[in-house]
Amino acid sequence: MEGSSGKSILQFAPFQSSVDEGFWHRLSSLKLNKFGIDDSPIPITGFYAPCSHSQVSNHLTLLAESLPSDSSEESEVPEISRGNRNRCSVPGILYNTNTVERFHGLDKQGLLKAEAQKIWEDIHNGRALEDSSVLSRFLLISFADLKKWSFHYWFAFPALVLDPPATLVNLRPASQCFSLEEAESLSAAFNEWRNSSLTADVPFFLVQIDTNSHAAIKHLKDWETCQSADGHKLLFGFYDPCHLPNNPGWPLRNFLALICSRWDIKSVHFLCYRENRGFADLGLSLVGEALITVPQGWRDHPYVPNAVGWELNKGRKIPRGISLAKSMDPTRLAISAADLNLKLMRWRALPSLNLNSLSSLKCLLLGAGTLGCQVARTLMAWGVRRITLVDNGRVAMSNPLRQSLYTLDDCLNGGELKATAAVNSLKRIFPAVEAKGVVMAIPMPGHPVPSQEEQTVLDDCRSLHDLIDSHDVVFLLTDTRESRWLPSLLCANTNKITITAALGFDSFLVMRHGAGPFSSSHDSKAEAANSLSADMSNLGLTDRDGGKRLGCYFCNDVVAPIDSTSNRTLDQQCTVTRPGLAPIASALAVELLVGILHHPHGIFAEGDVLNSSNSESSEQPLGILPHQIRGSLAQFSQMTLVGHSSDSCTACCSTVVSEYRKKGMEFILQAINHPTYLEDLTGLTELMKSASSFELDWDDGTDEDDDDCVEV
Amino acid sequence: MDALSWDGTLTSRDFLVSARAFAEKWKEFNSAFPPWTWVPCPPKQPPCHLPQLLQQGYLSLEKICLPGSSKKGHVTSQEDVDEISLTEGEEEFEPVDNATLVETNNSLQVCYYDFHIVYSDSYRVPVLYFRGYYIDGQPLALDEIEKDLPACSAKVLLESKWTFITQEEHPYLNRPWYKLHPCGTSEWMKLLFLSDDSRAKIGVAVEQYLVSWLSVVGQVVGIRIPFEMLNNPKSCN
Repeated sequence: MEGSSGKSILQFAPFQSSVDEGFWHRLSSLKLNKFGIDDSPIPITGFYAPCSHSQVSNHLTLLAESLPSDSSEESEVPEISRGNRNRCSVPGILYNTNTVERFHGLDKQGLLKAEAQKIWEDIHNGRALEDSSVLSRFLLISFADLKKWSFHYWFAFPALVLDPPATLVNLRPASQCFSLEEAESLSAAFNEWRNSSLTADVPFFLVQIDTNSHAAIKHLKDWETCQSADGHKLLFGFYDPCHLPNNPGWPLRNFLALICSRWDIKSVHFLCYRENRGFADLGLSLVGEALITVPQGWRDHPYVPNAVGWELNKGRKIPRGISLAKSMDPTRLAISAADLNLKLMRWRALPSLNLNSLSSLKCLLLGAGTLGCQVARTLMAWGVRRITLVDNGRVAMSNPLRQSLYTLDDCLNGGELKATAAVNSLKRIFPAVEAKGVVMAIPMPGHPVPSQEEQTVLDDCRSLHDLIDSHDVVFLLTDTRESRWLPSLLCANTNKITITAALGFDSFLVMRHGAGPFSSSHDSKAEAANSLSADMSNLGLTDRDGGKRLGCYFCNDVVAPIDSTSNRTLDQQCTVTRPGLAPIASALAVELLVGILHHPHGIFAEGDVLNSSNSESSEQPLGILPHQIRGSLAQFSQMTLVGHSSDSCTACCSTVVSEYRKKGMEFILQAINHPTYLEDLTGLTELMKSASSFELDWDDGTDEDDDDCVEV
Repeated sequence: MDALSWDGTLTSRDFLVSARAFAEKWKEFNSAFPPWTWVPCPPKQPPCHLPQLLQQGYLSLEKICLPGSSKKGHVTSQEDVDEISLTEGEEEFEPVDNATLVETNNSLQVCYYDFHIVYSDSYRVPVLYFRGYYIDGQPLALDEIEKDLPACSAKVLLESKWTFITQEEHPYLNRPWYKLHPCGTSEWMKLLFLSDDSRAKIGVAVEQYLVSWLSVVGQVVGIRIPFEMLNNPKSCN
């Protein structure tokens, strides 16, 4: 329009809203802790300031302190302080409904009209002259979906409609409307007004310029006195949030309504005050003249003019929505916190840490007792997210003290199934964990089954087979030796990473099983980075049981697993270990796994021994990768050992595995029902006979006999 | 303070001193920019065990429009917002009003950033907290913020072990904000001061701490420090 003088309709740029995250946070907290289902309207305070950017309008902003304070809320948000030049308070009202249906069903026109009436009354009773911010009174309707952390909302900035509308005589940048002296004086007056805490947040005012080019800013209530002086220019000024060069902002609408209905002025000279970098900017500010025809009926008090002002959403008459799940949903916060924690470890200490391989890893934990609970927790701490726990027991009264996933509640009413209770507990600790519980007994050799139960046992065998097949890693954490036999065999057969932890009273064994007898490292992706030493170990492997393959839990035994719980005293059967032992062993078991995953040869990696200088593993970022760790609390000592696979092993030697491959379940049933079957098969029986005839001393000091361990 | 034996940290009292000095200097040399303001916060627990509690609070610079942070077309991450309200047809309940300007949609989509400098009691260094949001208040996700960061900062973030962004609860606002993790701050602050010969001689000027600190940290988020601020260490007394 550029200073045009054509009599066009004066058009106002609508107010725009901005809602700070803090507002929704406090509203949620108030709704939960204070309001409950009470949905009566809440007085709120909005903030705005003059436009301070040539291309961006200022928005009416809601902050946390826009809402009444919630005494139970912990955060200390400073309460509204008057006199802040960038936060002129504007009174508003909030209708927060309890359901989305009520939100859509609100009588929007009626609510807008009610607020418009308040403005109208404030104009007539003079309150608007004392506190001009009431002219910009606003309305907000909302629905807070606290389960999804999403908010639907709609602002209205009620404007009294002049009918017929005001017409524009002219509108120009303020800099073109004043003499140099006037402009200078005006700028100074504005800066003083804006810098005094008494006036900085008073958004409507009178601008008076006397015949000496001296400018002064006056309160609206001083209108009468401004009238008396002759030859003065009088402009009606307001903080204009709008940046547009050809339109005044929304607050002018109700100001014009006040001017024409209170002071009966037909030709209104207005000034849209805008700033730049904290100072009055007369180039951005506008001065204009509008002609008003006082609408019919405006003099009758009970009459309330029509009002408009619902904010558009991208040009459409629809509400807005915002989702704050990212900053409010505890699950998402927990996930991002956990991820950042692990990334921190990678950034700081272990650049080669492969977090993706950990988070996609599927771990099967056989046993959910002291070891199982602790292993699961440590796995989660490493970023493992997929955990399956197998156990057929129930939580007993004595368990929670040592088994860190359970509490007394799990023991009540006969006790919850451990598999179920452990999964629930893991989810409480970290909601994003994909934990599953399987209630199942693990078939054990030397525990003969009556023929009528055979089918059940076979079903269990197949389930176990499928479980092992569908996981990447298997932890053997059961409380008897013989219960580790079938899983050891199945893992050797499918070449799964297998880790065993077993406890004595004050000693423990943690070990990783070697690869299976028929495995070839050639098809392993771990071999992608091929090296000379890898080729060497391959040579060893192709030579079946040639001594290079690392042993399993049963490789050092000269007896096949039998029923170890019969004929033992109670303290031998139960958890009689030093309480610190299980957490130590569990933690080592998980660290061992992480070592395998980060070793270039994975399951085929050789066993390192502490201080072995020729090992390439000592240069790995995670340090050496032992085969076995044995520790003793009695000596507070720990050592790393290597034991290669035995070709008489009852669980992993090629004879046993190939027999299993040939006969399948039939083989397993025989092993379960006939105590000496495995020993006969593997030649252990022969071995023992010859050994006893030589009266060999089996106890060599370092390689402690596992039979000394009462396992847990 | 002797620069050689100094460990690169600040006491909370020093932080207060440094914060005041910094805000003053910023106003002096960077008057075109909004000022940093000190936001006082009441102590969380009543000061029973500590003798005279220092004033707690943080430095705040808000609603900053970073250069190039305007977005083309507001792609609000509204995947979680119930679509009901957005897909429902427009409502016709208001009379047509020809005094309302119908804006053609060519207005700039701007993103704002808030920066807070908070003292960390455990690391004994200042920590930069920040957040970004669209003009209507919708917060920016970290990946959206990363697109806004200056190109050099992406490099700094990738290469430096000491600068990375984490999300953590703002110590005073109790809402999640992003922050530059402070774990390496004291080390590089010590290096920064030691590498400056003149400063190593005259000792560590507490007043200058935040200026130096922000000259490094600010690079990541695109806050520039006027050269004069760095070049003009006040004589320390």
